Amino acid sequence: MTMSREELRDSARKAFGEDGPMPDAGASWARLSEMGWFMMTVPEDRGGLGLGREALAVIHAELGRALVPGPAIAQMLAIEALSAAGGHDELLAEAMAGERITASLDPGANGLTLTCVPDVDRASRVLVVARDRIALAEIGSATPRSTWDETRRLFDVVPGAEIVLAEGAAAHALADQLDAQLLLALAADSLGAAEAVLALTIEYLKTRRQFDRPLALFQALKHRLADMQTWAVGADALLWSRANDQTTLTDMGALKAHVTRACLRIAEEAVQLHGGIGLTEEHPCHRFLKRIFLNAALGGDADHWDEQTGRAALAGMTDGVGERG
Amino acid sequence: MADQLETLRSELRAWLAQHAPADWRAAASHEEFVASQRDWFAKLVSAGYAIPHWPAEWPGGGRSLAEQKVIYEELARADAPRLLLSFVSTYHAFATLHECGSPEQQARYLPRILEGETWCQGFSEPNAGSDLAAVKTRAERRGDTYVINGQKVWSTMAQHADKCLLLARTSSEGAKQAGMTYFLMDMKAPGVTVRPIHQIQGDEEFAEIFLDNVEVPLADRVGEEGQGWAVAQTTLSSERGLTLMELSYRMRGALVRVANLIRDNGRSEDAGVLRDFGQLVTQVDAVCALANQFLANRMRGIERVGDASIVKNSYSRALRAYAELGVRLGGVGEQYRAPITYGDLNSGNWMADFMNSYAWAIAGGSEEIQRNIIAERMLEMPREPRSWVLP
Repeated sequence: MTMSREELRDSARKAFGEDGPMPDAGASWARLSEMGWFMMTVPEDRGGLGLGREALAVIHAELGRALVPGPAIAQMLAIEALSAAGGHDELLAEAMAGERITASLDPGANGLTLTCVPDVDRASRVLVVARDRIALAEIGSATPRSTWDETRRLFDVVPGAEIVLAEGAAAHALADQLDAQLLLALAADSLGAAEAVLALTIEYLKTRRQFDRPLALFQALKHRLADMQTWAVGADALLWSRANDQTTLTDMGALKAHVTRACLRIAEEAVQLHGGIGLTEEHPCHRFLKRIFLNAALGGDADHWDEQTGRAALAGMTDGVGERG
Repeated sequence: MADQLETLRSELRAWLAQHAPADWRAAASHEEFVASQRDWFAKLVSAGYAIPHWPAEWPGGGRSLAEQKVIYEELARADAPRLLLSFVSTYHAFATLHECGSPEQQARYLPRILEGETWCQGFSEPNAGSDLAAVKTRAERRGDTYVINGQKVWSTMAQHADKCLLLARTSSEGAKQAGMTYFLMDMKAPGVTVRPIHQIQGDEEFAEIFLDNVEVPLADRVGEEGQGWAVAQTTLSSERGLTLMELSYRMRGALVRVANLIRDNGRSEDAGVLRDFGQLVTQVDAVCALANQFLANRMRGIERVGDASIVKNSYSRALRAYAELGVRLGGVGEQYRAPITYGDLNSGNWMADFMNSYAWAIAGGSEEIQRNIIAERMLEMPREPRSWVLP
C-alpha cells in the first residue's frame, strides 16, 4: 500500500477535524479502528498495512491537532510490541481491531508501579517495558490520577500476571524501538496541537478589534506571530526528517525535546495573545497548552534528552580537525 | 545511491587532504586573504566542487541535494575556507542571470564567474536599507547608454569585485517599486569609487560604492526598464534560501569546534554545558532539515511566499546561538583581542564569529523585515498603512 504523507494527513484531518477540538472519545476510537489506523504500521504478512513511522507520525499529529482524547499512543506501542515480538496472532488481531491494550507513556520513570498509563479502566491488558523483558500484563490494581490535560485519563497501575513477549537482548532492542516510537508520537502530537493553536491565534488577531483596528495590524503582535510560525515550520522540518526507522533513540529524544520546546513556546504565546478570552475555560486555547505541557513531561523531558544529545554529539565529534588557525 | 554518495565522500575527502589550504585564517593582510580565496576557488572549480548547485550543463553542476550535503559537510570537516569572495558571484549573480538574464548576458557572464570574475551587490543605500524601495541612485538613459549617479552601501567585498548587480531608479513616477531598473555594472568603469567599511570585528567585508556619471551600456540592463524590483526579488530570494543549504551544513560541520572547546576546558561531564550543546546541535539539525526541505520543494516547483524568510531567520538565530555558546565557553580568554582572522562562522575566534553573526540577521533583509514578510505575506495579516502623520 502506498499513500503519500499529504493524502494520509488529509483523510485523518477530515476524520477528526470537523467537529471542533476535543471530539467524543468513544466515537473517535471507533473511527480510528474503522479507518484501519491501528493496523497501519503492522507488516502486511501479519495482517497490517505495512506503513512506516512517517505514517504513524502523520496520524498522531492529526490527533493532537484535533485534541482527540484517548489512549492511541499507548495502543500503538502495544501493537508495535506484539507485531515486533512475533506470535500471539490473536492478541495482535484484537488490538488492531480496537481492543484496548494500554501502556505507560513515561516508561523511564517506572518501578514496580507503572505510571502515566491512559484509560486503564477500559483496557484488557497493559504493556510492561522493563530492562530485561517486554510483556503484556493483566491489570492488577489501578489508581486514577487526574491531570491538567483533560484529553488524557491517566492511572498508576500495578501489573498482574504476564505474557512475556521478549526477553534479554531482544527485549532491550525492542524497548529502544518502543521508546523511539513513543518519543516520535509525543513530538507529532505536540506539533499538531501547536499548529492548531497557532492557526486559532492568527485568526483571532485578524478579527479582534481594539483602537478601531484589528490587532493583527500591530507590528509588535505580528512579529510574535511570525516567530511562532518560524518555530512551527522548523519543528515540522526536523520532525519529517526523523520520522523513519533509521533514527536512533537519542536522535528521537533530541527531536522530542526540540519540538516540544518550540510547541510550548507557541502555546504559551497563544494564551497570552488571546488576552482575557484565553483565560476562560470555554475557549480551547488552554487545552492545547495543557496537552503540550503533558507531552513535554512524558517520555523523558527536554533536560534529559538535551543532555543525552550533547553527550552523544561530543562522543561523535572527535575526528574533525577543529581549530587550526 | 548510498554507494555513490560514499564514493563522492571518500574522493572529496582524499582530495581535500591534499588540497585544502591549512593556514588561510592567518593571512597577513586582506590582500593575501583575497589572493588565497581566488586560488582556492580556482582549485575547487577545476576539481568540480565549486558550484554543485548550478545546473548540470556546467562542469561540477547538477548535483543532487544529497550530493550537495556531502560536499558541504566534507568542506566543513576539512576546515576549508568558505568562498567568501565568490559568494555573490556563484549565488546571487548566478541566480539572477540564470532566471532573469538574456541569453547573451548568460553566455557572456556565467562562464566568466568560473574563470574567477567576482561580483558584488549594489542594492542598499544610506537611506534605503530595510526600505529598499526608497533607492535614489539615478539611471538616466542617453541613447544606448545609461548614466548612473548615486551611492550604494553594504556591498559585500565590493573593493575586490569586478562586476556589480545594481538596482537604480529610472523613474520617480507611480509606486516606488515601479520606477526601478536592474543593471550589470562594471566596477572598473570610470566614476566608480569604493571605500571599505571598518566593521566591529575588525574586518572589512563590506564597502560603500560612489557612482559619479558611470556609464552602463543598454546591453547590460536586466529585464525591461521598471522591472528592477522583480529582478531584485530573485536575487534576494536566492540569498535567503539557496545559500543556506551550504551554510547550514557548514555550521553542522563546524559544531566540532564547540565540541573541542568543551573538551579542552574540561567541561565534558558538566550537565549544564552538555544540555546547551545538545540543544544547539538539534537546533542546527533543524535548520539543516529546513534548508533541505526548502530546496527539495523548490526543485518540485513548490515555494510558498515567506519560506525563504523562515529559513533565513532560523539560520541567523542558530548562528547567533552557536557563536554565543562558543564565547561563553571560551570565558575571559575570548575577551582578549585577537588579530584579525578570516572566515565567518569558523574564523577561529568566537568573539569575531559572534559579531559576524549580526551580518546574517541584518544583511539581505533584516530579521525584522523577514518577520514582516512572514506575517503579512505568508500568514496574510493586514499590511502596515502606507502613510502616517506626526501627531
